[in-house]
Amino acid sequence: MAQKGFTLWFTGLSGSGKTALAEMVYDELKQKRGLKVEKLDGDVVRTNLSKGLGFSREDRDINIRRIGFVCNLLTRNDVIAIASAISPYRSVRDENRALIGSDKFVEVYCEVPIEVAVERDVKGLYKKALSGEIKNFTGISDPYEAPLNPEVHINSGSEAIEESFAKIITYLEERGLIKPLGESGYSEEEEEAISAHLEALGYL
Amino acid sequence: MGLFRRLRTPKRHRVCLIGLDCTPHSLLQRMIRDGVMPNVAELVGDGSLRRVNSVYPWVSSVAWSSFMTGQNPGKHGIFGFIDRDPSTLKTFVPTARHMKSRTLWEILGDAGKRVVVVNVPVTYPPKPVNGVLISGFLSPRLEKAVHPPSLLPKLQQLGYRIDSDPWLARQSREKAWPDLWDALEKRTKTLLYLLDHEPWDFFMGLIMETDRLHHFWLELMERDDPVWAPKFFELYRYVDDFIGQVRERLDENTTLMLMSDHGICSIKKEIFYNCWLHDAGYLRYSKPPDEIKGPDLQAVHPDSVAYSMDPGRIFINLKGREKHGSVDPADYERVRDEIAAAAEALTDPDSGEKLVQRAYRREELYSGPYLEQAADLILAPVDGYDPKGALWKPHFTHKDQAMVGMHTYDDAFLYVPNHSLPTDGLSILDMMPTILQLLDVPLPPGLDGRGLI
Repeated sequence: MAQKGFTLWFTGLSGSGKTALAEMVYDELKQKRGLKVEKLDGDVVRTNLSKGLGFSREDRDINIRRIGFVCNLLTRNDVIAIASAISPYRSVRDENRALIGSDKFVEVYCEVPIEVAVERDVKGLYKKALSGEIKNFTGISDPYEAPLNPEVHINSGSEAIEESFAKIITYLEERGLIKPLGESGYSEEEEEAISAHLEALGYL
Repeated sequence: MGLFRRLRTPKRHRVCLIGLDCTPHSLLQRMIRDGVMPNVAELVGDGSLRRVNSVYPWVSSVAWSSFMTGQNPGKHGIFGFIDRDPSTLKTFVPTARHMKSRTLWEILGDAGKRVVVVNVPVTYPPKPVNGVLISGFLSPRLEKAVHPPSLLPKLQQLGYRIDSDPWLARQSREKAWPDLWDALEKRTKTLLYLLDHEPWDFFMGLIMETDRLHHFWLELMERDDPVWAPKFFELYRYVDDFIGQVRERLDENTTLMLMSDHGICSIKKEIFYNCWLHDAGYLRYSKPPDEIKGPDLQAVHPDSVAYSMDPGRIFINLKGREKHGSVDPADYERVRDEIAAAAEALTDPDSGEKLVQRAYRREELYSGPYLEQAADLILAPVDGYDPKGALWKPHFTHKDQAMVGMHTYDDAFLYVPNHSLPTDGLSILDMMPTILQLLDVPLPPGLDGRGLI
């Protein structure tokens, strides 16, 4: 089976674990399964593709459309695109879903109670938002519209990250977007290659 | 830590183990005597080099699994390079995921010891350890074989390779030779790098190239081939030099151990036990024989009584266990005895020599919760008659031109300095408890090996 392109879209509040999970999935698909994968992280995109954009609703929507545009280019060329961005507005996320195609769009909602996100405050942004230093901060002074029917729902306040990771990989495997590894830890091609190696050594 | 405190704190004891896959005790002694391995000769001058028994069947996956767990296959669950699910007859390659026992490095990690473990078979997929683990030759790609993954860029920079390419040796020895050297040089370079740059209490580096050398070149060395015999020993000189470089890096608180997992001898003939089972009426095929590739058990006809898998493992087609079981459980022992007796009576059609030393019932060799997964009979071959697992071949015996070395049971070796080791009856299962003893880590319950210190 040739690799199929799809977009894995992580959405959720700042501090909901999107980036960490996206990194884990990226490593799994690229390093361990040898698939063609690209990642587009919201924070990184804002330093290049969307440099100069602010956090007004309009600017946020432009940013998310741009990420969606790149994801679509990758997906239609059978590359797996992993996007992680707060992407707070449902309508523009759904626009991206329509652009890429529902059969190739996997929305991963990383839900976290706002109190937990504030407590974590990995980047120190919540503190600034609560003190008024940062305006239009999602979850504090700007809305977050949770997905109504995400393909994968992560509860990052109560799940271990390994559990969330396994949920995503299992979903992708069950939907046939990636091939499951055999019980030996090999993909089909890998097991064939290992068997051929053993055959050359006279063990089969 | 201040200098005074450092001087007062006793240095912790460490163990560095270099494994030479497939290097026989007998050959090592010969090379020590002939001056091929001067560094090893100097090390073993204290008399603590011992001959060691491997396990049944004596292939690397089973031997190294038994080494790393100190347990027999009935406990760790690895019985060969290939296994089968009896209910589907689908075959699979057992990996670390099938390993049922805790490994030496897991136990050491729990005791707070940092480990560096490189190139041991059946460690893929790499389980996180307290330290570094680079899986051995059953790993599909280096990217998937390294813990922690952060070490990968350095390994790539060093050009580290999981294994040489055995298909090259199947094509020609000339093609394979530079490839074998390339893998060896990169492996030793990487091992020395890790010795220098990683902290460790237990370091283990396995040289696999000795095994490949033996499989494809042993016979040429034994008949003193003018081209290949000198090259054979050249590779061992390099390994000896590497051991010398390792030794130079170790302090007086570190024990340098050397070992192998089994021995080797030249192949007189390959033996295809399934051909015999077929000709004797025990095995029928469900598809035309020339369409059967390798160990394709889907081609075992439901009426079959038994089939074999590499190396010399015979499974009774037992009702209630096998996909299309035909042998009634009430007849199991009778059938097993009959096949065992027939196997022990097999002879080389040309020379009349016996092919099988002994047909072991599994319970004679193994014990533990996974005994039921073992083959019903394990044929211990006479040295020189290499058991093969292909389901069909047009011949019962065959002399292959490329593959010229087969493993042996009783000729592995162990070197542990400064200790008076027993002289007889040593097993590869004894090595793991011995390492735990050297590192002052309590032996866990349930080991089959014994500490030799």
